[in-house]
Amino acid sequence: MRVRVPQGRIKYYVLGFYLLILAAWQALFWAQLMPDFLFPSPLQVARRLWELTVDDYLWPSLEATFERMGIGFSIAASIGLAMGLVMGMSRVVNACLRSLFLGLQTLPTAAWVPVSLLVFGLSDHGIYFVIIMSSAPAVALTASDGIQHIPLIYLRVARTLGTPACAMPARVILPASLPSIVTGLKLGWTLAWHGGVSAELIKSTIGLGFLLQMGRELNDAAQVIGVMVLTVLFGLLLDRFVFGLAQKRILARWGLAPGPSG
Amino acid sequence: MVMDDAQSNSPAAVAARPVKLKLTGVSKTYSNGAQAMAALGPVNLEIREGEFVVFFGPSGCGKSTLLNIIAGFEKVTRGQVSLDGRSVEGPHRDRLLMFQEHGLFPWLNVIQNVMYGLKRRFRFRPRARRAHARRFLEMVHLGDFEEARVHELSGGMRQRAALARALAPDPKVLLVDEPFGALDALTRAKLYGDLQEIQQRTSKTIILVTHDPREAACLGDRVLVFSGRPGQIKADITISLARPRDINDPVVAECGAGIMAQLEA
Repeated sequence: MRVRVPQGRIKYYVLGFYLLILAAWQALFWAQLMPDFLFPSPLQVARRLWELTVDDYLWPSLEATFERMGIGFSIAASIGLAMGLVMGMSRVVNACLRSLFLGLQTLPTAAWVPVSLLVFGLSDHGIYFVIIMSSAPAVALTASDGIQHIPLIYLRVARTLGTPACAMPARVILPASLPSIVTGLKLGWTLAWHGGVSAELIKSTIGLGFLLQMGRELNDAAQVIGVMVLTVLFGLLLDRFVFGLAQKRILARWGLAPGPSG
Repeated sequence: MVMDDAQSNSPAAVAARPVKLKLTGVSKTYSNGAQAMAALGPVNLEIREGEFVVFFGPSGCGKSTLLNIIAGFEKVTRGQVSLDGRSVEGPHRDRLLMFQEHGLFPWLNVIQNVMYGLKRRFRFRPRARRAHARRFLEMVHLGDFEEARVHELSGGMRQRAALARALAPDPKVLLVDEPFGALDALTRAKLYGDLQEIQQRTSKTIILVTHDPREAACLGDRVLVFSGRPGQIKADITISLARPRDINDPVVAECGAGIMAQLEA
């Protein structure tokens, strides 16, 4: 049987779920299955994060990570969109690049790190490289899928209304595939976040990935877990509140899903 | 009087006006490997300025193909289409096609859809473009829905918005491909009235495709009856009933029956 819960109350259940996880974590800590330094309590993790903030490690790291992500993902999204557009409009290009990109997507994002070390050494350029290689193919594939599924009627209407061929991408093709493009950017962001933090583990002297690595070197499980929680949190926040909201807004405008009107 | 001439579509008044669209020996053959299938023609046809012409015939008789040829979406196998004496090719907003589906762009609101075809035309500034679009929205009774999203409109309103969008760029010929097929009878009856009123007000040359004889009788100054494959004009009927005509008027129904009889003759 499906239990019906009013929409407005679901958030309390979600909140309860996370409190339950925290409680279970605390209970496991009290059970002393593992020594303290390997399995810290939630409170110890929070305290360590506080110490990192006070010691001026956390903010510079977040700043550095977000700056890299901002630059890397902007480049990745631009390249991905441009390639997706060309793929969507040319069967030949699509046939060639689709298999390549699908293949590249099977590669774990961290697998780009060794190559970037070889080519770029320890500079930030290597991190951009990993971010781009991780997310651009996904953005390109979803964009080209979206373009290929544009209802023919829009293209015919645009032509009968006198749209010149050179104006089609900007005036019809991109706007008509906007829902898929945003879905692709959302997915691309997640992959870029994976790649970026993986690259930071090895290559950087600042950033979330660096803090993770530093925690390992200091044998500080509280720091490792704390930074992991932060990584999840910030990845999720951007996914939900930047790309998620954009997606909801577009779908609502198109009348494809309920959401905030706009 | 010139005014009277523009407004009355009596055969004599129509005959005095210049030829807008001329089709000479237009035919279309589809070839499927070794087999060639004649789908249309040859069709010879002259349509004069301000005429409301209906292409009527059964499904698959090639009337929609002919409309697509005039619109420039399909190439002729033989023959020539000329507009105002000049041969035409490819889609152009001189010969605007309104489709069975409304095809309104969901990423634009209603008035932006109507303004779409006005870009780079009339040397319009954005504000003038908006005012121009607004006139056509008011003409189709959607003046209050400028900022609405496409999905917020009913089916009939969407077709009316599509009509405003097709009229706004001031095409020389408006081509209409069974635009009311998906609508309920009440909405349709209202749209027949609107379309006649707009045609009389703007003296637009309109070609409409339908397989409903009563629709043909209600809308056309002239109904061209198409025979089946290859599609050819079987009869050219002039309809001189007074406008506006009501689709539910028995006289229109009787006229429709007459058109149907021509098809079966």
